[in-house]
Amino acid sequence: MAADEQRLRAAVLGAGLIGVDLADRIRRSGKLELALVAGRDRDSLGLRRAAEMGHPTTVGGIRAVADTGPFDVVFDATNADSHAEHWAALRPTGTTLIDLTPTGLGTVIVPGVNSHRSAAHQHLNLVSCGGQAAIPVLYAISRHCTPSYIEVVSTGASASAGRATRLNLDQYIATTSAAIRTFTGAQDAKVMVNLSPARPAPPFRVAMTVLADGIRPAAVRTSIAAAAQAVRAYAPGFEVTSLAVDPGRIAVAVEVTASGGRLPRHAGSVDIINAAAVLLAEQSAAASR
Amino acid sequence: MNTHPPERPRILLHDPTLRDGHHAVGHQLDADQLRAYATAANAAGVPVVEVGHGNGLGASSLQIGRARLDDATMLTTVREALTSARMGVFMAPGWGTSGDLAAAVHRGADVIRIAAHCTEADVTERHLGVVRDLGAEAQGVLLMSHMTGPGELAEQCALMAKFGAQAVGIMDSAGHYLPSEVTGRVHAIAEAVDVPVIFHGHNNLGLAVANSLAAVDAGAVVIDATARGFGAGAGNTQLEVLVAVLERRGIETGIGLREVLSAADVAADRLMKAPPSIDSIAVASGLAGVFSGFKRPVLESARAEGVDPVDLFLALGERQVVAGQEDLIGDTARQLKAATR
Repeated sequence: MAADEQRLRAAVLGAGLIGVDLADRIRRSGKLELALVAGRDRDSLGLRRAAEMGHPTTVGGIRAVADTGPFDVVFDATNADSHAEHWAALRPTGTTLIDLTPTGLGTVIVPGVNSHRSAAHQHLNLVSCGGQAAIPVLYAISRHCTPSYIEVVSTGASASAGRATRLNLDQYIATTSAAIRTFTGAQDAKVMVNLSPARPAPPFRVAMTVLADGIRPAAVRTSIAAAAQAVRAYAPGFEVTSLAVDPGRIAVAVEVTASGGRLPRHAGSVDIINAAAVLLAEQSAAASR
Repeated sequence: MNTHPPERPRILLHDPTLRDGHHAVGHQLDADQLRAYATAANAAGVPVVEVGHGNGLGASSLQIGRARLDDATMLTTVREALTSARMGVFMAPGWGTSGDLAAAVHRGADVIRIAAHCTEADVTERHLGVVRDLGAEAQGVLLMSHMTGPGELAEQCALMAKFGAQAVGIMDSAGHYLPSEVTGRVHAIAEAVDVPVIFHGHNNLGLAVANSLAAVDAGAVVIDATARGFGAGAGNTQLEVLVAVLERRGIETGIGLREVLSAADVAADRLMKAPPSIDSIAVASGLAGVFSGFKRPVLESARAEGVDPVDLFLALGERQVVAGQEDLIGDTARQLKAATR
C-alpha cells in the first residue's frame, strides 16, 4: 500500500498503562506504523497485553530500541529517572523522541499552544497529564491578564496511575509548575496531585485557580470555551465543568474522560497525554513529507 | 503511688495538636501560640510534638487553606521549644515533595509521617526512602482508612514497612469507626508487620478515646492524641483524657497526668476559642465518612449557595471524596442547589 510507505515507524518505550495505550493508538493511526513496544520485564502485565494485542514486543528496553532502529519517532513512556539515558542513546540516531515522563528536559510542547515549534526539535517533552489538561486553559487566560499566582490541583483515579507515575510525583509537580510559569508568565505556580480511591472511579479532574488583576469576565469566558473546543479536537472527553470569574480571581475546573479506545472511561489522564503525543507524531509525519 | 522503677513506656503518645488543630482555626496559629503549647507539651513529657499546616508540609494553598506561617517558621519555632520531645511532621506525596522533607529535617524534624489514602500506599515508596536517607524516623500512615477493610489495610501497611517505614498505621480521618472496626483493622495490621502500629482517631461519633483504647488492646503501640482534642471536625482523641484512661488501665505512657492537664489548659487558653464539640455537622460528616478537615469549607460553601451543610456532607460522602479534593465542595454545593430548585 502506498499509504504504508509514508507512515512513520514508531517505537514505544515502556509497557505500563501509558505505553500499552499508546501502542494501541499508534496501531489505529493512519500516519504511524507501530514497529516495537519495548519493556524490561518479561512477566509484566503490560508487555504481555501488548503481545496479546499483536504488537511487536521486546524485553530489551532502550538497548533493543537503539539496536533495532532507526525509528522515525520513539515515545518514552517509562519514568522520569530513566529518560535522560534514553535520550542519550537515541540522540545520535536522529530519531524524534517524544517524552511522556515529567522531566521537562526536551522542548516542552502543548498542542494548540506551541505545537508549531515541535517540528524544529528532535527532543519533545509533554510536561504531564495535568499539564496537558491545564495549560491550554491557563494559556488562554493569560492572553488577557498577567497572573500573579496560579494553583492547579489534579485528581486522578487510583486505577489510572501506574507505578512510574506514583514514583515520579515530585518531578510531576516540579515540571508542571515550571511549564505553567513559562506558558503563562505567572510569577508563582503551585501544583498538587490527588489520587482518588473512590469507586466507581471518577474522571480525571484538574481544578485551577488564577489570581490576576484586570480580569475581563466575558473575554476570559470566551477564550476558555475556545481553548476547550480546540483540545476536544484531539481529546474529545475534555470538558470545562465549572467556571467562576470574580474580581482578581478565576476558578475553573476541567474533567477529562477517555473514549473511543480501550481505556476505561475514568482514565482521562492517560487519554489526554497520549492523544497529545500521537497528534504531535502525526503532525511530524505530515511535516516530513 | 508507683513504687516500681518506671518501666519503658509501652504506649507512645504522638501529639499532632499543632498540626491537626490547624484545621480548626483555618491554619492560622501564630508563632507565640506554637511556642506556648510546644513548651507545655515538652514539659509534660509528651514524646513527639507534631507541627505544620493541617494537611502537612507543602499543603498551604488556596485549595486547602493558606497557613499564617510558612513551614520553615513553624518548624523552627517549635524546634526551639522542645528539649526532650522529638519534633514530628506530616507529608502526603502530591501535596509536599522531597524538597520539603529535606527542609524539614534541616530544621530539626525527627519523626516524619508519610501519608497516603487508604488504598494508595505505593505513592509512599519514594518518600519513605527519602526520609530514611535523610536519617529521620520514617512512619507510614493511611488516611480515610474506613474506606477499606482489614485485609487491604494490612497489605498496604506491609507495603509501607517494606518501603522503609519504621512504624505504620491508620487514621480515622472521618471519625467514622466503631471500636469493633478498629479492633479488626489494627489486629490485622499488627499480624502483618514487624514494626509498631499507629492509630489516629477522630471524635465525630464520640468514640475517639474508646477507639484508641480498642487500638491499644488490638496491638497498636503509637496512639495520636491532641490537647482538648484540638483538631479537624469534631476533634481528635483527647490527649489528657487518654493519658488518664491509660493510667486507669495501668499502661505506662511516660507522660505525667498533672503536667499533661496543665499543657491541655495552655492549649485551651492559647490555641482555641472553644474546644471542639460534636455538633450536628460533625455527626453528619462522621456518618457520611467524609474527611473531618472539610468542615470549615463545607460550612462556607453551604452558606454561599444556601444549602444545608448536612445535605452537602452527605452528598460529598456519596462521591467518596478524599482529603485534598476541596475543589469539589463548591461544585457539589451548586449541584445540590440546582437539584432542589
